[in-house]
Amino acid sequence: MSTEPDKLESFVNRRYEHGFITDIDADSLPPGLDEGVVRAISARKNEPEFMLEWRLRAYRHWRQLEEPTWAHVHYPRIDYEAISYFSAPKSDKDRPKSLDEVDPKLLETYDKLGIPLHERARLAGVAVDAVFDSVSVATTFKEKLSEAGVIFCSFSDAVINHPDLVKKYLGSVVPQRDNFFASLNSAVFSDGSFVYIPKGVRCPMELSTYFRINAANTGQFERTLIIADEGSHVSYLEGCTAPMRDENQLHAAVVELVALKDAEIKYSTVQNWYPGDENGVGGIYNFVTKRGDCRGANSKISWTQVETGSAITWKYPSCILRGENSVGEFYSVAVANNYQQADTGTKMIHIGRNTRSTIVSKGISAGHAQNAYRGLVRIMPQAHGARNHTQCDSLLIGKACGAHTFPYIEVRNPSAKVEHEATTSKISADQLFYCRQRGISEEDAVNMIVNGFCKEVFKELPMEFAVEAQALLNVSLEGAVG
Amino acid sequence: MTSRLAIDALRDAVARLPDNRLSATRLAALDHLQGQGTPTTAHEDWKYTDLSDVIDISNQWLAHSAQERTPDVAADQINALKDRIDAYWLVIANGQVDESSVAVAQAAGISVSLLSDADVALDFDAPLANLNTALLRDGLRIHVEADAQPAKPIGILIVDDASSAVGVSQARVEIDLAERSTASLIEHHVSTGRSRHYANSIVRLVLGDHATARYVRIQERDSGHSQTGRLNVRMGRDSSFEHSAFDFGGKLIRNDLLIDLCGPGALATFTGLYIAVEGQHIDNHTRVDHRVGPAKSIQEYRGILAGATRCVWNGKAIVHAGADGTDAEQANHNLLLSEQSEIDAKPELEIYADDVKCSHGTTIGQLDESALYYLRTRGLDRRHAQQLLTQAFAQSIVDRVSIDLLQDTLREMVAVRLSKLIEGDIGL
Amino acid sequence: MLQITDLKARIGDAEILHGLNLQVNAGEVHAIMGPNGSGKSTLAQVVAGHDAYEVTAGSVTYNGTDLLALEPEERAREGIFLGFQYPVEIPGVNNAYLLKAALNARRKHQGLDEIDAFEFLKLAREKMALLGMDPKFLNRGVNEGFSGGEKKRNEIFQMAMLEPTLAVLDETDSGLDIDALRAVAMGVNALRSPERAIILVTHYQRLLDYVEPDYVHVLSGGRIVRSGDKSLALELEEKGYDWLREAATA
Repeated sequence: MSTEPDKLESFVNRRYEHGFITDIDADSLPPGLDEGVVRAISARKNEPEFMLEWRLRAYRHWRQLEEPTWAHVHYPRIDYEAISYFSAPKSDKDRPKSLDEVDPKLLETYDKLGIPLHERARLAGVAVDAVFDSVSVATTFKEKLSEAGVIFCSFSDAVINHPDLVKKYLGSVVPQRDNFFASLNSAVFSDGSFVYIPKGVRCPMELSTYFRINAANTGQFERTLIIADEGSHVSYLEGCTAPMRDENQLHAAVVELVALKDAEIKYSTVQNWYPGDENGVGGIYNFVTKRGDCRGANSKISWTQVETGSAITWKYPSCILRGENSVGEFYSVAVANNYQQADTGTKMIHIGRNTRSTIVSKGISAGHAQNAYRGLVRIMPQAHGARNHTQCDSLLIGKACGAHTFPYIEVRNPSAKVEHEATTSKISADQLFYCRQRGISEEDAVNMIVNGFCKEVFKELPMEFAVEAQALLNVSLEGAVG
Repeated sequence: MTSRLAIDALRDAVARLPDNRLSATRLAALDHLQGQGTPTTAHEDWKYTDLSDVIDISNQWLAHSAQERTPDVAADQINALKDRIDAYWLVIANGQVDESSVAVAQAAGISVSLLSDADVALDFDAPLANLNTALLRDGLRIHVEADAQPAKPIGILIVDDASSAVGVSQARVEIDLAERSTASLIEHHVSTGRSRHYANSIVRLVLGDHATARYVRIQERDSGHSQTGRLNVRMGRDSSFEHSAFDFGGKLIRNDLLIDLCGPGALATFTGLYIAVEGQHIDNHTRVDHRVGPAKSIQEYRGILAGATRCVWNGKAIVHAGADGTDAEQANHNLLLSEQSEIDAKPELEIYADDVKCSHGTTIGQLDESALYYLRTRGLDRRHAQQLLTQAFAQSIVDRVSIDLLQDTLREMVAVRLSKLIEGDIGL
Repeated sequence: MLQITDLKARIGDAEILHGLNLQVNAGEVHAIMGPNGSGKSTLAQVVAGHDAYEVTAGSVTYNGTDLLALEPEERAREGIFLGFQYPVEIPGVNNAYLLKAALNARRKHQGLDEIDAFEFLKLAREKMALLGMDPKFLNRGVNEGFSGGEKKRNEIFQMAMLEPTLAVLDETDSGLDIDALRAVAMGVNALRSPERAIILVTHYQRLLDYVEPDYVHVLSGGRIVRSGDKSLALELEEKGYDWLREAATA
C-alpha cells in the first residue's frame, strides 16, 4: 500500500508555508473577551439595543460556566483570552486574482472532488467578482425567492430588517444558557444565515450558504436561524465538500430550526474544516450546537450530516418532537482519520403523541482517530405511541483507531417502542483480497466498501451533494489502509 | 442533593469492630472513602440511581443500632432457605459469617476459610467497596482446587433480618477456582423484617486457566430493603464464566458485574432478569473488559416493569488495544407494562482494536401485537395470551441457567413473581 | 354457514373490500383466487377479526350470529380457524402448550371437560404422523426457527387438532415444495365433511389439483367478479387474470 503521506493534507500544510493566509487585518479586535468586546461587536454591526442586551445576558452567563469535559475527546486547554472575537472580512486586494495564482495541488483536489469550475475560485479565496458575476447569479435567485415571500439573508441583515422575527425566535430553541459553547456563541456570534418560509410556501429551490452574498468569514461563531411557518417546506444546505480553511482554530456555531404545524425542514451539512496534519498538528476545534424544534403537529425536521473535517468535532443535531405526529430524523456519516477526534450524535426528545424518530449513524475510524457516537432517545410520559429506531454502525480501518458508542435511552411511556441496534466491524483482509482478485485496486476496494457502508445516509442528501460527499469520503480516507 | 454519610459516626462504628487482620485495612478503606465521598447522580455511573435513601439508612443505623449487638437471624429461617436447594451452603447472616457453616462446607476439592485467617490485599478504588471494607467484620475465602469438580454447588446465602432494628450489613467473599476446576456457585440474597435495611456485598471471583464457573445470583429481598452488590470476575486462559442473575425483590437495588477477560480463549456468558413492581428501583450495570483476544462475551438482560418502577440497564464492553479476535454481543430487552414505569438503558461500546465483532441491541416496548392476535385466533383470551407471552419473555433467561438443578426452582420463582404482577395493577 | 353481504373494509385510509358478497354452506369447499392486492388476505383477516381492518359497511353472519361483534378468540371458539399466510414466530411459547390451551378453550366453550395430557399427546402424535411431521416439533417454540414449509405444515397440524367448523386457509400453498403441498392437501381433505366448510385463498391453481373445490371465485379490486366451478380455476391458469379485470371494468 501507499506509504505516501496523505496528499490532501500535505498540500494543506504547504499552503500554510506559502503564507497564503496573510497578516491579520487591521480591522480586528485585540484578543480577549469582556463586556467591552461584546459591545464593540454589536456596535460594529449597528445592532439595535435588544440584540446587545441579548448578547450581554449570554456573556454574563457564560462567565459562570465551566467548559464541559464529558465528551470522548482530548485537547489542550483552550485559552479564551487569547482568541480575537472579531475580524472584518478580508478585502479583495489581498486575495489571489485568479485561479492561476492558486496552488496547483489545491486545484488537483478540487478536480478529484469534481467541484464545478466557477465554485473552485470562490473556495480558493479568489476575489469572486474577478472570476464570475456572482451578483447576477444571486440576484436571479433573490428575485425568485422574494416572489415566493421567502426571507433568506445574513443574520446581520435580519437583525436590522426583520427584528420582530428575530426577537420572537432567536434563542427559542437553543437558549443563551444552553451550554458553554452555545452561551459563548450567543455573546459573540459573528454572522450567519436567517431563513423564514411563510405559511404554505414550498421554497422554490434548495437554499445554500453558497448563494448568500457576504457569506465570507462567518465560520468562527456562526449563527443560523430557520423558521418554517405552517405548512411550509424548505431544504437547506450548509458547507461544502471542498476543504475549507480558516485561521480561527475554535469554532462554536449554533443552528436553530423551528418547524410549525405541518412544516418540514431538511438540513444537510457537509463539514470539511481543516482536520490537522497527519501527525495531529493543527486543525479546527468544532463545537456546534444544532437543534430543531418540531413545534407544530405533523411537522418534520431531518438532519443529514457528512462530517469529515475538523481536528475535534463536538456536535449533536437534535430534535424536540413537541407536536403530535411530528417526525425527527438524523442521518450521519462521521469520518475520523489520522489524529482526528469526533464525538457526535443526536438527541430525540419525544414529547407529543405518536412522534417518530429515526437515527442512522455511520462512523468510520482510521489512523489514530477516535470516533464516538453519543445519542439520547427520551420518551416523555405523555408521548403515547412514540417510536424510535436507531441504527448505529462503526467501521474500523487499522489497529490504532477507536470506535465508541454511548447511547442513552430513557423511556417513560409503556406504549412507546424503541429499538436500538449497533454493530462494529472492520474491512476484512478477505473482502479486500476478493476485490483485488477481481482486479480492483486496494484503494478502490476500500472506497467501495466504505461507500456501501454509508449508502443509507448518502441517499438522504440532495443528489449533487451526495456525489460530492462520496468523492470527499474517498479523499478523506486516502492512505488509511496500508 | 444526595445526603452525606456521617463519617465521624462511621469512624466510631469501625473502631468498635472486633480486632483482627482486617483492622488496618478497614481504617485505610475509611480514609479513602472519606476522600472519595459516596457516589451522587452527578457521577456518570450513578446518573440514574440516587443513593440518598441508602445513606439515610446508614446514618440512622450509625446513630442508633450500630452501637448495639447485631441481632441473629432465626435458625429456622436459614434452614428453610438452605433446604430449597441442595448445595454446600455458607451463610452470612446480618453481616456475620456463620462459622459453623464454614466447617460443613468443606468437601472434596473445596476449602473454605475466613478472610481474616490470612493477610488480605484489597483495593480501594470504589467508594462502596471501601464502605464494605471499613465495616467488614469478616468475610469468606473459597478455594476450589485444581482439576476439582465439586459434586454440589457452593451456595453463599446472604440473609438479613431487620425485624428488630434498622440494619446495615456487609458481605465479602473471595473465590478462586484453580486451573481446570469446574464449580457451580449460587449467591442468594434474602431479607425480611419491617425495619429499613441496607446490604452491601462484594464478591471477587478469579478463574484459573481452563476453569469453569457456573454462577447464579438470586435476589429476593424484602420490598422495603435496599442493596448494592458488586461481582468482580477475572478470567484466565480458556476459562469459562456462565452467569445468570435474577432480581425479584428489593426497594433500591444496584448490581455491578465487572468481568475482566485476561486470558485468550476466555468465554463469558452473562444473562439477567429483573422483574420490578410497585416502588422498586433496580439498576444493573455490567462492564466487560476484553484485554486480550481471541475471547468472547455474550450478554443478555431482560426486564419486566410494572407499576411505579424504574429500572436501569447499563452494559459496557471495552475492547482494549491489541485484543484482536474479540467477539462481544450485548442485548437488553424490556417490557414496559405501566404508565408509571421508566427504563433507562445505555448499551455502550468502547473499541480500541480493529479485529473485532461487536454488536448490541436494545428494545423497549410491549408484547408483540401480532403474536397476541395469533394466540387469540387459536381461542386464547387476551389476558391468557398476555400472560403466556410475558412468561415466555422471562423464560428465555431461565432456560439459559447453566446450573441444571436450579432451573425448576427458578421457573417457579419467576412464575410466582409474575402472577403477583399479573394480579396487580397492570391490567394483564 | 357463512353469509357475507356487501362487505366493505379498509386498512388505514385505503378501502380494500368494496362490497363483497359470499355465501358458504356446510360441506362446501370454496376457492378464492385473484391477483396480488385484490383483497384476498383482507377477507381472511376480516373473518378472523384482525383489528387493523375496519369494516365500514355490510355484514358477516356465521351460523346466524353476527360475526363482526365477536373478538378473535370468540370466533376461534365458535369453530373458525385461520391458517395464516405468514404464521408468526412466538419464541418461548411451545407448540404443545399453545395447542392444548387452544383445544381446552374450545372444549370449555362447548361445555366439555379439559383434555387430559395423555390423550392430548396421543392425538397430537397421530395427527403429526399423518402429516409427516417430526414429533419433536411439539416441544419447540411456536414456529420458532421454522422454515416457510414447516410453518405452513404447522398451521395445518393445528387445524387438524382443533377440528374447526370453518377453516380459512390464506395462501397456505404458497412457497411449498411438492411434498409439503401434498401434506397440506391431505390435511385439508381429511377435514372435509358435511358439517364443515373450507375456504381456500390461493393465487395459483396448483393446490386445486389436490383439493377439489366445489366453487371457485375470482376476487379482483375488492369484489368477487366471477364465480364458477373448478373449471374456472383451469381457465384462469390458462388466461391469467387480466381478461377478468378488463371484464370487470368494462
